[in-house]
Amino acid sequence: MREFLQQFRLLRRMNWIMLLMIIGLIVFGVCFIYSATSMREDSTVDLYAKQIKWALAGIVCYFGITLFDYRRLRDVSWLFYAVALVLLVAVLFFGTRIYGAKRWLMFMGVGVQPSEIGKLAVIALSACLLSPAAEKFDRLPAMWRLFLLAGIPMALVMKEPDLGSALVYLPVVVAMLFVAGARVKPLVIMGVSGAAGVLLLLAAVALPEQMGMTPEHQDKFFHTIRLSEYQRDRIEVFLQPGKDPMGTGWNKRQSEIAVGSGGLTGKGYLGGTQNILGFLPRTVAPTDFIFSVITEELGFIGALGILALYGGLVICGLYVARVAPDKMGRVLCVGIVMMVFTHAFVNMAMTIGVLPVVGIPLPLVSYGGTFMVITLFALGLMQSVYVRRPGL
Amino acid sequence: MAEGETTLLELKRIRLVLFIMLGLLLLLGAILFDLQISRQPEFEASLHKQSVRRIRLPAPRGRIFDRNQLCLADNQPCYCLAFNLEDLRQPGRWKNTVAEVQRKVGELKGLMGRKAIISEEDIWTHIRRRLPLPLVAWRSLDPAALARISESSVDMTGVEIYVEPNRVYPKGGLAAHVLGYVGKTDFSKDEIADFQYYLPEMDGKMGLERQFNQTLVGLPGEQLMRIDASGLKRAERMDKEAKLGANVILALDARIQALAEGVIKDVPGAVVVLDPNNGDVLALASSPTFNPNQLMPFFPKALWDQLNDDPGKPMLNKAVAEVYAPGSIFKPVTALAALNSETIAVGMTVNCPGYFMIGNKAMKCWNPNGHGLVDLRRGIEQSCNTYFITIGLKCGNEAISDLAKLFGLGEKTGIELDREAAGIVPTPEWKQKYRHDDWRNGDTCNFAIGQGALAVTPLQMAVVAATLASGGDVMRPRLVLSLQDAAGDTLTNYPATRVRRLPLAHETMQAVRQGMHDVIMAPTGTGGRARIPGIEMAGKTGTAEYGEKEDRKKHGWMILFAPYEKPRYAVAMVVDDAVSGGFTVGPRLHELMMGIFNLPAASQKKEEG
Repeated sequence: MREFLQQFRLLRRMNWIMLLMIIGLIVFGVCFIYSATSMREDSTVDLYAKQIKWALAGIVCYFGITLFDYRRLRDVSWLFYAVALVLLVAVLFFGTRIYGAKRWLMFMGVGVQPSEIGKLAVIALSACLLSPAAEKFDRLPAMWRLFLLAGIPMALVMKEPDLGSALVYLPVVVAMLFVAGARVKPLVIMGVSGAAGVLLLLAAVALPEQMGMTPEHQDKFFHTIRLSEYQRDRIEVFLQPGKDPMGTGWNKRQSEIAVGSGGLTGKGYLGGTQNILGFLPRTVAPTDFIFSVITEELGFIGALGILALYGGLVICGLYVARVAPDKMGRVLCVGIVMMVFTHAFVNMAMTIGVLPVVGIPLPLVSYGGTFMVITLFALGLMQSVYVRRPGL
Repeated sequence: MAEGETTLLELKRIRLVLFIMLGLLLLLGAILFDLQISRQPEFEASLHKQSVRRIRLPAPRGRIFDRNQLCLADNQPCYCLAFNLEDLRQPGRWKNTVAEVQRKVGELKGLMGRKAIISEEDIWTHIRRRLPLPLVAWRSLDPAALARISESSVDMTGVEIYVEPNRVYPKGGLAAHVLGYVGKTDFSKDEIADFQYYLPEMDGKMGLERQFNQTLVGLPGEQLMRIDASGLKRAERMDKEAKLGANVILALDARIQALAEGVIKDVPGAVVVLDPNNGDVLALASSPTFNPNQLMPFFPKALWDQLNDDPGKPMLNKAVAEVYAPGSIFKPVTALAALNSETIAVGMTVNCPGYFMIGNKAMKCWNPNGHGLVDLRRGIEQSCNTYFITIGLKCGNEAISDLAKLFGLGEKTGIELDREAAGIVPTPEWKQKYRHDDWRNGDTCNFAIGQGALAVTPLQMAVVAATLASGGDVMRPRLVLSLQDAAGDTLTNYPATRVRRLPLAHETMQAVRQGMHDVIMAPTGTGGRARIPGIEMAGKTGTAEYGEKEDRKKHGWMILFAPYEKPRYAVAMVVDDAVSGGFTVGPRLHELMMGIFNLPAASQKKEEG
């Protein structure tokens, strides 16, 4: 009984504003998953209902994690990491192939994306490794160790292949190191070389054709640098939007039209013609391109609403990091905030055509079970930090 | 202490991370502003372009009525069986959908009892070009087929009964040459520039359908259609209602037209019946004829070839588009010219020995025994060539050609029909220009008896008859009385038009009219076969040779007006390959006039009004 009271007191110390914003995003998501799928005659299951179930499961998880003391992660983070690695390896062998990529593991009829679990595992482990105050994180070997630990799952995710999810690891680890006190110079070097790597990748895709290589030579070249056709396509679409309007460039172009034609106030709920008429492909409208459905129907005002909710979530998250009782909590929060932010930013940016279409969902909004639960799990960890803040 | 400093550094760095994140979100906001506010119209236009299609819808075509409101050209729904590809769309490639349509065609073939008009290639073309529109597989379903469809157990998903407007001529071939026919419109680039799709429309290809096409066709409507990503129709909205074409009310009397066609149906030729009081065209028939209903909705190629290769030229409106030598029916004009020029008097007589010597060449009169002494009245009655050659030479060719032109010969009457011929009134200048030869006395002789280069249309001769009937008023033939909208309100009235009044003395005109009276009414008159009981009529027969001399082919002519005192009908009729005007045409006009004067009185009143 006393224990229960104690737990209840903990819950009362929760950051309610953050919870409200999370619920706001979930509600947005459910409403627009409904809108994005309302025109589908072929769907036997209502995705929005499934999303509500996942969200409820996630919320339960959220409260559960809030009660879980994040400091106990120290005991389980290595195990968590190991499990994540096993799953990431398993998916390469037993994964279900969807659109040419093996990203899903089926557990009793429920699809799980190990790459999402991997992200959280890396954040948790990094937070543990970075937490001892005594550790000198300005020393390079410690940084390298962390990058290595993050690099293994990242490489496995890339192998799936899931370029977008893999790239999310980078800013998360960099941000955690940065806040943990790592020296800026090597971080900048890391950042710059990472950016250069991405640029190189882009160039590698674009240049052979620009230089006039024959298709056979190009194939050979890409085989050598291990870039799959699917990855190349997506990057190519980013570089040459008009190249293939009915192929891979289609989604990007149609998403831009959807967003752009939304105007200030949009076409009204359930009135997005790009979605209704199927120009925005029905397979991606409720998932990766949910933001374009929202902005088409609610216009610039709706877009600002979403931006404000993420902005608020970021502010709250970093406020929690600020008031965290210890360094581990602080770094953990920064990692989680960065993960959510990176997803949100990259997703929105690709929806409006300023970043390549890399297939990253919009956290809490896009349709997707694992990611919803994982995100709520991660956000729950922040509450876990918050309720254990010093004072009263 | 060190712990505190570290924390401070961490807090500073957290704040930096926050600012970077908020900055990036603001950047997104700015890009969104650019897309959604600044460049909104651009994307709206792209959206419109890819998802909105404009369709041109034909307006129901105006109808054509005779003077008694009898419908001669109407619209009738043509039931078609069409496929709606949206409902038949199969998952995967379009190939599957094409196969599904073909399967459906096979399934329905038994029910329809005939082959579909679409091939696999047509289905592909439809998918590529006109996907949101229904794909017509069977046209002109009869009621039996419609009944079989409604009773059948075949799955009718994606099958619809689609109604196309079809032009029909309820009276069949009646007045076919006047009405003409319609065919599929060949759109000009401008007409369809604003449209992605258009449905077949009808344009008049001949006759009134062609001449009044602008009036009949109305204004096309516009429909906006929203299509989805696969090109199928999602929603439609009428942007502009089609405006019905106006109805055309003719002066034609369908009953007289039927009579006229009846008396000429077995021989090639033409008949025109005018009302001399106002120029109304009561009947205008050409033979052989065609049935425009057989040309709907699409002109069958075989029929087209058959109609065009027919030596009888069934597609040609001989009443207005063909020219003939008038022969003796021109003689009243010669007589009027001579009297008017005062070179002869009414009582002047000429001795006809059966020929006329011109230089050392003899021109035969049709009666080799000669007519003896003939004056004007008898000259006309007997159609004596010697008499007319004599008076023709007396007054000269110029007097004749001047008067012929005043009668309207040598120029188009201006009737509302296409391909009207002007004919020829020969003059020395004309001969110089086209035959490079001087005008000789022989030319005047030929001219005086309606032979030689003189060429007239049956309609022109009907106008001549009407002018003689009215005592000198040249009326423009009026085929169209008015235009009416669908509600029956008059839009435009076409008043009767008198082209001119001939500058002839009343006595002169009367002398010639008396001669024409005798042609029909005198026991020895050449046109006696046209006589009908109870009605005084006047007329003139004519026989004109044509073609090679050895063939001895002759056009039989007759002009006529009745009743003699207060004429209501002026008729001209020509028959190819006739024995003679009086012999071949006379009995036919007898039948025609019998029919006309036996028509119910009520409508005769209408004709007068």
